[in-house]
Amino acid sequence: MRALKIPKFTFTGIGTNGLLIVYAAVVLIPMFIVVTNTMRPTREIYREPIGLPSTINFDSYVTAWGEANFSLYFMNSMVITVSSVTLATAAASLAGYILGRYDFRGSRFFSSFFVAGLTLPFRLAIVPLFLLLNSLGLIDNRIGLILVYAATGIPFSVFILSAFFRQLPQELSEAARIDGANEFVIFSRVMLPLVRPALATVAIFQFVPLWNDFFFPLILLRSTDKWTLPVGMTRFFGEFQTDWSTLFAGLVITTLPLVVLFLSATEQIISGLTAGVRK
Amino acid sequence: MQKKTRFTAVALLAIMLLVIMGSVVAQGDVTITVWSWRTEDEDAYNEIFAVYEAANPGVNVEFVPFVNTDYNNILATGLTGEGGPDVVQLRAYGSLQPLIEAGQLLPLDDLSTLENFTPAILKGSQGIQDGHIYGVPFGVQALGAFYNVGMFEELGVSEPETWEDFIAILDAAAAAGYIPLANPAKDSWMLPILHDAVAAPRYGGPEFEAAVLAGETNFNDPNYVASIAVLQDLQPYLPPDVVGVAYNDARTLFITGLSPIFIGGSFEIGFWQSEAPDMEVGMFMVPPPPDSLAGSFVPSWMDGSYGVNALTDSPEASLALVEWMGTQEFGQLFTDKIHQISPAAGVVSSDPLLAEFAAGMTENPASYLLLVNFRYGDPSGTTVLGNELQRMFLGEVTPEEVAAALQTGMEQWFVPANAE
Amino acid sequence: MTAITGQKDEKRGQTARRRNTLMPSRLTIALFLLPAFLLYTIFMIYPLVQALIFSTFEFNGLVRGAFVGLQNFEQLFTRYPISEQLPRAFVHNVYFFIGTMLIQNTLGLLFAVLLHRPRFGKRFFRVVFTLPYLISPLVVGYLWSLMLNPLFGPVNATLRNLGLGSLARPWLGDPATALPVVILVNAWMWVGFPMLLFGAGLAGIEDDLREAARIDGASNWQIFRWIEFPLLTPVIGIVTVLTFIGNFNAFGIVWALGGVDGTPAGATDVLGLVFFRTAFRGGADAFGLASALAVLMFLFIFTVSVLVQTWFRRLESRMQ
Repeated sequence: MRALKIPKFTFTGIGTNGLLIVYAAVVLIPMFIVVTNTMRPTREIYREPIGLPSTINFDSYVTAWGEANFSLYFMNSMVITVSSVTLATAAASLAGYILGRYDFRGSRFFSSFFVAGLTLPFRLAIVPLFLLLNSLGLIDNRIGLILVYAATGIPFSVFILSAFFRQLPQELSEAARIDGANEFVIFSRVMLPLVRPALATVAIFQFVPLWNDFFFPLILLRSTDKWTLPVGMTRFFGEFQTDWSTLFAGLVITTLPLVVLFLSATEQIISGLTAGVRK
Repeated sequence: MQKKTRFTAVALLAIMLLVIMGSVVAQGDVTITVWSWRTEDEDAYNEIFAVYEAANPGVNVEFVPFVNTDYNNILATGLTGEGGPDVVQLRAYGSLQPLIEAGQLLPLDDLSTLENFTPAILKGSQGIQDGHIYGVPFGVQALGAFYNVGMFEELGVSEPETWEDFIAILDAAAAAGYIPLANPAKDSWMLPILHDAVAAPRYGGPEFEAAVLAGETNFNDPNYVASIAVLQDLQPYLPPDVVGVAYNDARTLFITGLSPIFIGGSFEIGFWQSEAPDMEVGMFMVPPPPDSLAGSFVPSWMDGSYGVNALTDSPEASLALVEWMGTQEFGQLFTDKIHQISPAAGVVSSDPLLAEFAAGMTENPASYLLLVNFRYGDPSGTTVLGNELQRMFLGEVTPEEVAAALQTGMEQWFVPANAE
Repeated sequence: MTAITGQKDEKRGQTARRRNTLMPSRLTIALFLLPAFLLYTIFMIYPLVQALIFSTFEFNGLVRGAFVGLQNFEQLFTRYPISEQLPRAFVHNVYFFIGTMLIQNTLGLLFAVLLHRPRFGKRFFRVVFTLPYLISPLVVGYLWSLMLNPLFGPVNATLRNLGLGSLARPWLGDPATALPVVILVNAWMWVGFPMLLFGAGLAGIEDDLREAARIDGASNWQIFRWIEFPLLTPVIGIVTVLTFIGNFNAFGIVWALGGVDGTPAGATDVLGLVFFRTAFRGGADAFGLASALAVLMFLFIFTVSVLVQTWFRRLESRMQ
């Protein structure tokens, strides 16, 4: 580790620390309200939308876990989201690498082709998509959902990864090539480790919306034993009456794995920061 | 949809059906899957269907509720391919038409229990093009004013007989530091409800309805404009910054005793019971505003129905179930367990408040004008009026402009009966 | 400063990028592209193209009728009220984009720079600032509607307690403040995204450059302005394009805060909501109309994104 200057005590130091702390409060206070609301009965929430719980109880967590069949849905969510993100990130890093590093004939076309997917409201395609999966026998099939999810992650990931691959210095791959490495080895051994922060960022930003999505599973999955966590949560949303307490508890349970995932992803990002491009 | 894909889907489905039916016959059992948008009624429906299952051995009914806001999508695709439901809960009037026109529902005209419903009710599940009935109605909703009995006693007032009484109550509530009317304006769908519950007498209710449908008048009618102005006059009694007040905030105002009156639909009764069980709630019809063309009404509409998926693999069992859902027995179970009004003949609401709504809509009937008649095209009447009333409360438009916008919107698709 | 920039140019010269060395064989290129291409084309582009073709057909529910050419497009601009909602929503999207660039992305860049330097608790801040993104937009919408509620909300209550009652207002019920509030809440939710991307970009800048500048006596601000900021151009490009695309497709959070009609009185109406209303709340002919709207949105968003991308590419190569 190179010696880095220890920050001196300065007024700008106070200013920036102050800014960071104030903003952290702006983030954490509303979250705190959500968590306290999970410990209050729904009736109390309707009567007083914001307030401290009169008694601490975790009934809503028990209800959410039991009623929403959370242990099963949790596994389904995990399998579906992890597979989709892995598939999309793997495919996108291959494509992003070749598009970012080389200016071959058609590379501009492919770049634009992949970006195009980002700009369309995919919900529009729900009926043709449904018919496609239906004809492939993939309705009510987790693999069908995984393929769709992975496909939706491709444009975003290709877009970001190709930009990060483009930034890497050329001599790294040249050195490897002189050593007789083929393209795939250069990609996987030399280049991929260098874009780890970007990979982690791409993975987490794909993971979160898929983990929280209930639209596609509601349409594409039928059997309740294949449902995911957010689909289970929609059971608490009523037409005129919503069970806020249980809903919030369910949301806390649903969000916790994301926090854990995010912590480990930042681990990646930070180790990426220290590894950096320093040879 | 593309014909080929559709054909493949149907062929595939046919094969699947054979397989499934084979297994069904082998077991001698049939499972009917019922889809619904009422997540909050899951327990009640399970109890209701248990009654049916007990009387029909070998039939198993599975109730699957989905989130209300995405139900239309789920249903549209669910009725398209394999593995869909057998019996489906259907929206009413205009919202039902796309499914009918896509041929996704079985016509139910031959079901004997349809006799239990009036033609006005059945209109809600009728194809506007072909005139067939596609659903057995399950519920009716009606509009009126809820009031907090305890607060009325405290204020020394009773149910109003005249508009002056009504205004006097509102003034008394304001003087005592309450928000006289709890109604919201952030959720724009509540605004046409407020309008019809308060001002239908001003424009004349059913008479105006007949005239506007026939093309003898339109929404620019001075009486309709005046009915909108009634809401403007009531704005001082609504919560401050009413356009920022959401539906749930308004209900909170009412159940916490910050507001003595909430004007809304009979679908609120279940909420009052579960969230404010100790509060005594009464109901009254808002008295006719000055210069009204008619007396007070309890505007109502058919809330929805149950129909049969055209692609069901057990049509007979499904039709039998839906037929039963038209009986007095089902209607009574429905109203007792779900606390809503059943339109089936002979059903008596056990809940006194609900009975009052049911009696009101029989004695002083009117259609919730825009929902019943003006949802068959785009834009829908309730949407345009809701958005424009919101603008009126913000001071952006006058009642004349609200009415004119509604008329312009309806002209996009609505053709009066007498038009050439 | 010239010494530093000169040195930087030399450095970049040495690391001259791609398209000069051995081009892999066509087969290699194809193999690298194939998995992403297949997955994306079959499960995303194919259904989307089908849906877009619908824009030239008449629809009755989900049943496709006759070919009608551009009639659906014409309807978008002539049928009341969509003809009035569309331009209004477009303008709101433009504000949304500008506001997000100014607030969310500037803040994201600031946080990334502050947290890139050694600092106590930087990992904590990085996690906390990204936390809102992990929550579903529905909850974020509910949460902030509650915070800003004119009757029960703590924001107005706090203002009143501080003697600033005149500032209290129905934030989401006042057409003047509703859209800015939506932009702020959206930024609250998303600020971690530019922060992480900029962070990853800063990590890619060699420390030698910073050290050399520091030895030359450059201040933190000067290092940022003359070294880090120019080298972040590619990341700024990515963030700009993704912000543009994201904002013009915005739906979830706007819906959660202002409802499907963009309350109050359409002050928060955006193209995503117009599309949703047309597709899923419209009349029997909704499908063709919604497809036509999607085609227009696609043409606009795609063209602008490609232009912005090209512009940033040119900027990048000029800096080499």
